[in-house]
Amino acid sequence: MYSAAYRLTRNAADAEDLIQETFLRAFRSFHQFEPGTNLKAWLYRILTNTFINSYRKKQREPQTVSDDEVEDWYLYSKMAEEGMEPSAEAAVLESLPDEDVQEALSSLPEQFRMAVLLADVEGFSYKEIAEIMGVPIGTVMSRLHRGRKALEKGLWDVVRERGLVRD
Amino acid sequence: MSEISCDEVLSEIEHYLHGELDPNRTVLLGEHLADCPPCFERAEFQRKLKEIVRVKCHAQTPEHLVAKIRQAIRVEFDVGGPEPPEGGHLL
Repeated sequence: MYSAAYRLTRNAADAEDLIQETFLRAFRSFHQFEPGTNLKAWLYRILTNTFINSYRKKQREPQTVSDDEVEDWYLYSKMAEEGMEPSAEAAVLESLPDEDVQEALSSLPEQFRMAVLLADVEGFSYKEIAEIMGVPIGTVMSRLHRGRKALEKGLWDVVRERGLVRD
Repeated sequence: MSEISCDEVLSEIEHYLHGELDPNRTVLLGEHLADCPPCFERAEFQRKLKEIVRVKCHAQTPEHLVAKIRQAIRVEFDVGGPEPPEGGHLL
């Protein structure tokens, strides 16, 4: 849960406050939790709602991604155009500093960042993410798809800035 | 020859890699990937990318945070220092 809080708030102090507030709220409303349902998803739902209500106001940012020019298989294709072997492509990404990948994720607009974070960092299923974010599964899939594409574009920019491909 | 086309496979690969396809469809895609090196390469790339994001974006919970939250709960609920009932490990 700390990873999620940190990626949402983008700093350690807010992440700690967010988690503390989440657990306090969870305790206050624990009587509303239905035994036998998904406790983890319930807690993450409180986390995301708390974040939206308390922290988002501080952060002005675009709420959508302009991914019109980002085609599917963006990163794979860009790297292939550089003449890289598929195995070398993954190795280049692995060589990126953690901070670069975190920054690429953090710079996604919130609803896309949240979807990718919940799916690919926290490992939640589509159904769980739908519960947590309070949206239909179709919306989850669309946000994930667009969020991942935008992330690929961000990673490609980093790869180029780092001079990991000839340009 | 495979029962589904490369286009179909590639358009569903995200769901496949996330374990979101039903069992029959999962088997079909798996069979296609085993027989089709170009699709397999793309799927492998996407799988590794997902793994890289997972590993690199993980943040270690600070050690003091658990104690801090336990203390906050103790103060607000005036209880004698319980473990958070379940969610403690979820931090």
